[in-house]
Amino acid sequence: MEIIITTLINGLSLGGIYAMIALGYTMVYGIAKMLNFAHGDIIMVGAYTIMVTLGISGNPIIATIAAVIFCIILGVCVEKVAYKPLRGASPLAVLITAIGVSYLLQSLAQIAFGTAPKNVSVGNMGTIALGSVKIQGYTIFTLVCTVVVMTALTLFIKYTKLGKAMLAVSEDRGAAQLMGVNVNGIITVTFAIGSGLAALAGLCTLMKAPLLSNTFGSMPGIKAFTAAVIGGIGSIPGAMLGGILLGVVESCCNKISVIAPYTDAIEFGILIVILLIRPTGFLGKKRREKV
Amino acid sequence: MIKSFFKTGRFRHYLNYLIIVVLLVVFSVMSLSGGMKSSSQYLLEKIAISMILAVSLSILVGFLGELSLGHAGFMCVGAYLGGKVSVLLSSLLGEGIVNLIISLIVGGICAAVCGIIVGLPALRLKGDYLAIVTLAFGEIVKSLFLNSSDASFGGALGLKTPRFDRNTLFIIAFILVLITLAVIQNVLASRHGRAVTAIRDSEIAARATGINVTEYKLLIFAMSAFFAGIAGVLFSFSNQNIQATKFGFNYSIEILVMVVLGGMGSINGSLIAAALITFLNVKLATVLTGNMAVLQNLIYALVLIIIVIYNNAPFLAAFREKYTLHNLWTKLFGHRAEHRRDDEKSWARIPTKINMDELLSVDTTPEDNRAVRLDGDKPDAPSASDKERSK
Amino acid sequence: MKTFLRIACLLCAMLLCVGALASCGGGSGTNYAANNTEYYIGLSGPLTGGAAVYGMAAKNGAQLAVDEINAAGGLNGVMFKLVTVDDKHDASNIPTNYATLYEGGMQVSLGTVTSAPALEFKTYAKDDNVFFITPSASNDDVPEYENGYQMCFADGNQGKVAADYVNDAYKGQTIGVFYKSDEAYSKGIFDQFSANLDSSITMVTASFNDATATDFSTQIDTLKDCTFIFMPIYYTPASLFMTQAVGIIADNAIYYGCDGLDGIDSMEGFDVNSVPQEISMLSHFNSKATDGAAGEFIKKYVEKFGADTLNQFGASAYDCVYAIFAAMKEAYEADNSSVYVTMSASDLCKVLEKKFQGGFKFTGITGTDITWDAHGYVNKTAIKYVVKAGK
Repeated sequence: MEIIITTLINGLSLGGIYAMIALGYTMVYGIAKMLNFAHGDIIMVGAYTIMVTLGISGNPIIATIAAVIFCIILGVCVEKVAYKPLRGASPLAVLITAIGVSYLLQSLAQIAFGTAPKNVSVGNMGTIALGSVKIQGYTIFTLVCTVVVMTALTLFIKYTKLGKAMLAVSEDRGAAQLMGVNVNGIITVTFAIGSGLAALAGLCTLMKAPLLSNTFGSMPGIKAFTAAVIGGIGSIPGAMLGGILLGVVESCCNKISVIAPYTDAIEFGILIVILLIRPTGFLGKKRREKV
Repeated sequence: MIKSFFKTGRFRHYLNYLIIVVLLVVFSVMSLSGGMKSSSQYLLEKIAISMILAVSLSILVGFLGELSLGHAGFMCVGAYLGGKVSVLLSSLLGEGIVNLIISLIVGGICAAVCGIIVGLPALRLKGDYLAIVTLAFGEIVKSLFLNSSDASFGGALGLKTPRFDRNTLFIIAFILVLITLAVIQNVLASRHGRAVTAIRDSEIAARATGINVTEYKLLIFAMSAFFAGIAGVLFSFSNQNIQATKFGFNYSIEILVMVVLGGMGSINGSLIAAALITFLNVKLATVLTGNMAVLQNLIYALVLIIIVIYNNAPFLAAFREKYTLHNLWTKLFGHRAEHRRDDEKSWARIPTKINMDELLSVDTTPEDNRAVRLDGDKPDAPSASDKERSK
Repeated sequence: MKTFLRIACLLCAMLLCVGALASCGGGSGTNYAANNTEYYIGLSGPLTGGAAVYGMAAKNGAQLAVDEINAAGGLNGVMFKLVTVDDKHDASNIPTNYATLYEGGMQVSLGTVTSAPALEFKTYAKDDNVFFITPSASNDDVPEYENGYQMCFADGNQGKVAADYVNDAYKGQTIGVFYKSDEAYSKGIFDQFSANLDSSITMVTASFNDATATDFSTQIDTLKDCTFIFMPIYYTPASLFMTQAVGIIADNAIYYGCDGLDGIDSMEGFDVNSVPQEISMLSHFNSKATDGAAGEFIKKYVEKFGADTLNQFGASAYDCVYAIFAAMKEAYEADNSSVYVTMSASDLCKVLEKKFQGGFKFTGITGTDITWDAHGYVNKTAIKYVVKAGK
């Protein structure tokens, strides 16, 4: 019993991180309709920013705020330079520039910080013991953070004017424009929010896995992307659901040493099965094809 | 007759074969007379493999309109199973051409079977969701081979495969490029090819006209996977030790980059892009040594971003029209400008499903800027009346 | 667009043609080193990507040795030159990398930094008979041919030595093993370790791979009752494991690793003292040494390249260069005409093989009186270093 609970808690802790990253993916996908493969690398940049500012200020909160601001600026710049010129072009062209941006950020990080992975300690949050089960502080922090962000995003989209405009752009870009929505502006804001979330995800990942190198965001990025798809890409609660599910599955697979090497195969296998049963993920919008 | 062949422009249809054959003959003579460095031979092998991969992905992405992020997975299946067959056969048949041909067939067919398996979800899933399934497939295949037992597929250490004679392997590889081209171009130019593009343009309309969508989708998936498998077998013959880690997401993306840079739905474009990207990558890796190595990805990324923006950005459309090589050619040789095929531009954008916003949005931009944007969706410059209304 | 592509194809073909023609004039048996003015040492290692830290360390260590040798006047006034090309820890880059190095005039090589590419490298080196001594490609099959040698301990050997130690110290008890399932190095040691383990010992295993390398909490939970954990992994994931295990794995536990663990105490931002458990390793180098030749090396290395890439890779590569230099020097002193700067790789290989098989002893920073057996494995004492005692 204790083993099951511990495994679940470990899964939640990992799932929280995936969910946090998936929120960023899903935001950008839902509104800009593009797979932003550079998202993982924005996380990496955010983590490096935290490392640098933490070294200067020594305060994790200031470091996080600095990282969020820096990532927002970076995200907006990347959007203006690499994605905006391609608005209206083939979605695949944007996919390729996103990959280009991803390589670019990785090599810039290697030039700036070298190849050696760095261990960054953001501050120990301690552990909480519930009976014989230990819960790490960062697990709770990550989960709380993710739930807060998810709720905030949902409320923001439902109740603010900007959020409604985003929803409109996501539903039908052309119609939104006809209704006077500044589509370009909305997409820029989306990227800003997505990149800010990436910085937060960088913080959460760093607290759990403080080994920072220029490929820091790649693998969690792909995993979180999978999570976003399981939950239904474009859906904010779906990202949360998918992330948690993926984290728990990964944790359970790792627990059983015989199947541990096949963890990623099992995760992706589950993804395929879910998509076959529900072609747009758990909470994705069903698209009805019109003639 | 030869004159009319050139005059009618029909030679253009065969130009790619012609160029590859001429090059192949030149290189073969050089290689067999011992006048070619082995680095050039390895480079040519790599280029041929990339060409087959790019062309095979191009029919999936460019003609069927389904995005695949797991093409390296098919290659992996071909490389491992074809490689295993060649190992088993090498004691029986030696490491000669017979062994190679049998391995190619086995590897190709195994990959094609996987192609059909991956194609089945394609009947139910659309667009990006299907892309994720192909990505998942690639990762699963990689993971399974990576964790295989040492006796079966070598596991983490990789599978030892026989290396084919380097003086002739690239010749065989380019012959396979020619075969791939012949098969794919013929299929695409036939009734079946038109059916496939019809499915891409509108599945419902295609179904309504009596096209068997299921059959064609599976056919294209199988064909694409088959040739990827062939490329995989070639890969296993050009390396002594194949490792599954090679066939990950990044490699799939590299193949996709070739297809996108070459232009969607353009087989020749994929060929050129495959050659250029492979050449660029190898040169970057071997020229930028030591501390300069970090610049490889930087340069590659910048080249990628700049080319994609130049090729696709709507605001550069007029510029591109003005300064094409075609116009340059016309200027230099006074060749009659050929009429353009109507659907060519629409091929630049997939999937080309009819969207309501295309029909609803009113395009008020001047006539000459409108050319390339078929989607009519240009948020960059809302017209004056739009702005007024928003106030 | 089509026409444009065809013409681009034509141009591109010409370009490639010219490129290939320019590289004409090779063929087997050519002495590419005929115009060398310096002795050319080649190395292939990961300089970008996830494994870059190991490649950079090896490159830096070798460069340090080359610079020192040159500062001291080289070999009878002839300087040495080191060229490192990037293989991205991917074996399929080896053919072009190797050919580029060889055709550039490489006379002797340090092979590759990591195991998987080394398995590819060794066959090309054998074809041209190029002598290589690898600093860190520790797979058992790397020195398969007579021209291949290792400076590091072979995986099988390390696994066996570790198992012997555990058999003595933990008879009848339970131990934990934490390894990386998709890596040749880790899997190789683990396989040998488990094969040699005494049947009275219960082994609890936990593994991870590239895709699951962010979070080790489940694995830590599996191993939490073990007081001895064998971890044949590199120090970067190990540091993550140790950080995440604080407070969960018993404070009096012992982490025991192989040479890959070296470097853990010089990682930036990672304080070994924050880990309550004992960390020890079986290695040939200790990057915290302050005295002797090793201390001297560490001082020079940190001065030049900084401490963050300091690990046994650099030390081992440093020793490789010096071993080659010492062997060449001995041969030169015995016979002035046997070693010269324009000699072909294959001639130099014969000289060095004769030395390495003929009682040549080398004392460097990773061991004293190092010799090599007929197979190419290194003979030196592995020392158990206690990086940090337990609390």
